[in-house]
Amino acid sequence: MTRSPASRPLSRRALLGGAAALGAAAATGGLSGCGSPASLSADPSELVLWYWNRAVTPELLAQAAEHIPGSPGRRVRGDLIGAGFDTKLRTSLAGDAYIPNITLINSNCALYFPNESLFLDFSELGAAQYRDLYYPWKLKLGTTPSGRLCFWPLDTGPTGFYYRADLFDKAGLPSAPDKVSAAIRTWDQWIELGRELRANGGPAMVNSAAVVFGQFINASPERYFDEQDRPIFAAEGSAVRRAWDTAVKAVDAGITGNQQTATGQNSAWVTGATAGHIEAVWWAEILGDTAPKTKGLWRIADQPVAPGNSGGSFVAIPRSCKDPEAAFNFTTWLTSPANQAVAFNKIQLFPSSPASFERGGLRADATFFGSQNMLRFFSDAARRVPSTFVSTYESQVEAFAAELANVESGGKAPEQAWEDAVAQVNRVLKKRGVI
Amino acid sequence: MTLSLTTQPAGRTAGTGAVARGPRRPLRSFWPQYLAVAPFYLLFLIFGLFPIGFSIYLSFTDWDGIGKIKFVGLAQYQYLISDPRFWNAVGNTLVIWLLATVPMLFLALVLAFLLHQNIRFKSAYRVAYFLPNVTSMVAMAIVFGSVFSDSFGLVNSALTALGVNEVPWLSSNWGIKITIAVMVIWRWTGYNAIIYLAGLQAIPTELYESARVDGAGNWHIFSKLTVPLLRPVILFTVITSTIGGLSLFTEPQVLLGNNGGTDEAGMTIVLYQYNQAFTQFDFGYGSAIAWALFIIALVFAVINWRLVRERSTDSSSQRRLWTATTRKGITR
Repeated sequence: MTRSPASRPLSRRALLGGAAALGAAAATGGLSGCGSPASLSADPSELVLWYWNRAVTPELLAQAAEHIPGSPGRRVRGDLIGAGFDTKLRTSLAGDAYIPNITLINSNCALYFPNESLFLDFSELGAAQYRDLYYPWKLKLGTTPSGRLCFWPLDTGPTGFYYRADLFDKAGLPSAPDKVSAAIRTWDQWIELGRELRANGGPAMVNSAAVVFGQFINASPERYFDEQDRPIFAAEGSAVRRAWDTAVKAVDAGITGNQQTATGQNSAWVTGATAGHIEAVWWAEILGDTAPKTKGLWRIADQPVAPGNSGGSFVAIPRSCKDPEAAFNFTTWLTSPANQAVAFNKIQLFPSSPASFERGGLRADATFFGSQNMLRFFSDAARRVPSTFVSTYESQVEAFAAELANVESGGKAPEQAWEDAVAQVNRVLKKRGVI
Repeated sequence: MTLSLTTQPAGRTAGTGAVARGPRRPLRSFWPQYLAVAPFYLLFLIFGLFPIGFSIYLSFTDWDGIGKIKFVGLAQYQYLISDPRFWNAVGNTLVIWLLATVPMLFLALVLAFLLHQNIRFKSAYRVAYFLPNVTSMVAMAIVFGSVFSDSFGLVNSALTALGVNEVPWLSSNWGIKITIAVMVIWRWTGYNAIIYLAGLQAIPTELYESARVDGAGNWHIFSKLTVPLLRPVILFTVITSTIGGLSLFTEPQVLLGNNGGTDEAGMTIVLYQYNQAFTQFDFGYGSAIAWALFIIALVFAVINWRLVRERSTDSSSQRRLWTATTRKGITR
C-alpha cells in the first residue's frame, strides 16, 4: 500500500494520520490527569462540594452558590455524586487529584480514621464557639481516636420502635405509644410482647434477627472495639455478645420474620406480615414510600432500654482545600440550628443540634403516624443517645450479622454460629494486622 | 473511483511484495497499519494493561485504597489458600455454572431446532427469545427477587396452590443457587439459541432431506444429525458460558447484596472480590482473588482448548456421520 499511486493513498494517509492524532489526543488527555491540580475547580473563588442526593437542601445550596455567608466573594458549587460515593472520594484522595474542597461523609466516617491526616481539624479552624450547639454523642462520632474533630455533625438518626397499632389492637395488646413504651422497657419485655402478639394470631415483631442485633449495638455505649482499636467483642458479657444473645432469644421466641432480602422486607411491611421495625427517624420517609396504604396505622414507641443512633452524615474538609476558612464558614452556616430546621422541613434531615428544636418552626407530617408527634418523640430520643466509639475496623465484623442470618434462616446452632463468627472476624483482623 | 479501481491490482501486488520483504523493516513499511490500530492500543495500554499490571503489584501488597501501600510478598496468596470463604466462593461459582449451563444450552439447542422448522411468526419468536438478553439485569434481579421471595413470591404461591410445601428460595443454600441459575438461564438461553440457529442454517438442507427420505423423525434428526454437526458451535457456546459463569456478579449482588445471602450460598468469586476490594477496602486481597480467578479461568481455557482440538480432527468426517452411524440407528 505504501507504494500505491499518489491520489488515493494520500487521502488514506490523511485519514490514518487523523485517527492516530485522535488516539494520541485521547491518550494525552488521559495522561494529563497525572499532573493535575488537587482541586476540582480552577476558579479561586469557587469551592466544590461533593454530596449525594437528598443530603443537602437544594434551597441552601442555591444560596451558597451565590455567596458563602461570612466569606464574601466565595461561592460553593455542589457536585452531586451518585452511587459508590466512598469509592469515588477515596479514589480522588488516593490519586491526590481532583479532590473536592468540601465533602459529605456518611455515618461510616470511622473508615477514614487511619487517614485522618487527609482532613482538616475543625477545632483548629475555630470550632470551639460552635461545639455546644450539637449533641455531644454526635461530636464524639466525628472525632478521631487521636482527638481531632475531622467530621462535622450534619444530621443524625435517633432510633425508635415503629409498630402497627392496628395489628397490636387486633391481637388484644396495648397500642397507644406511651403504653407500648411502658410495656417494653427491657429487651426481655419486648420479646415477651412479641410472643403475645404471635400467640394471638399476630405477625412478627421485626423482619429479621439482624434488626435486633444491630440496633442493640447502636444503642450501646460499648461496641466492637475500644478506643485503642483492640477487639472487645469476644469478652465474656460484652455488648456484642449480649446483643447476639438477645437476637437469638428473639429468633427462638419466633418473633422475627426471617425476611432476609430487601424485596421480602418491603413486602412484609406492605402486607402486614411484619408488625414493626426498630430504625432511625429517616426510616419514616422510606416506610411512607414503601407502604403508602398503611398510612395512619403506624406509631412509634421507645426502643427497649435506650434509643441508639443509626446513620446520620458529616461534613469534612480535605487537607487540599483551597480556602479552609471559607469552607469552615460554609459548614457552620449549613449546619446552623436555623438551617438544620430548614433542612428538616424540606428534606427531613434530622438535626444534629438540639437548638433547632428550641427555636421552633419545625414541621413534621404526622398523618402517617396517626397524629402522633414524631418530632417530639425523636427530639426526646436524640437527647438520650449514649456516647460511643466507632472503630475504623468495624467494617471487618460483618460475619456476626451473616452468622445470625444462618441461625435464623438455616437453623444453625447459635453457639456454633457465634464461634464461627468470632473465628472469622479474628482471622480477618489478624490479616489486617489489628491483632 | 474508476481510476483507483484500475490502479488497485498494481497496488495489491506492491502490497504483497511488501509482505514478502516485511520481516526486514516491518515498522517502516507498515506504519499506516500500525498507526490505524494505534488509538486502540494506546487506550488499551492506559486503561487496560496498566490496571492489569498494577493489580499484579497490588496483590503482593496490603493497601486500604488511600494510605501507604505496604509490600507483604506472598501473604495475600497464603491467606487466600487457607481462606474458607474463598473456596466456598469457588465452589458456589462452579455449582451455579453447572446448574445454569447444562439446562441452558440444552434448552437453547431445542429452541433453535424448533425455530429452524417451517413455522409462522419466526421473526417474532426470535425477537422474543433474544429479548431477555437486552433487558437490564439489575431490574430483572429485583423482579426475580419478588418472584422467588420466600413468603410473598409467585413461585411459592403457586407451590402452595398445588399443595406442595413452600421452598425457601432466597434463604437456603440450594434455593439461592437454583434461583441464580434460573436467572442466568432466563437471560442467556435466547442468546445461545440465536447462535445455534446461525449454525443450523449453515448445515446443508440435503442432509436433512436425505434423513427425512430415510424416514427419520424429529428426535432422530435432532440427536443424530443436528447435534453432531453443531459440535463446533456448541463448543463455542460452552466457552462463552464458562467465561460468563466464572465472572457471575450482577445477579447475586442485586438479588442478595454484597454478602451473598444466607450461608454465603450466593457468594461468587467476583462478588467476593468486589466485597473485599470495595466494601472492605482491602485492595491487596481483592487483587489476589482476581488473579486466582485468572488462573481458574486459564485452567478452563486449557480444558476447552483440548476439547476443541480433539474434535476438530473429525470435522472432515462430519458429513459422513449421517450415512455411517445414524441410518443404522433408525432402521434398527
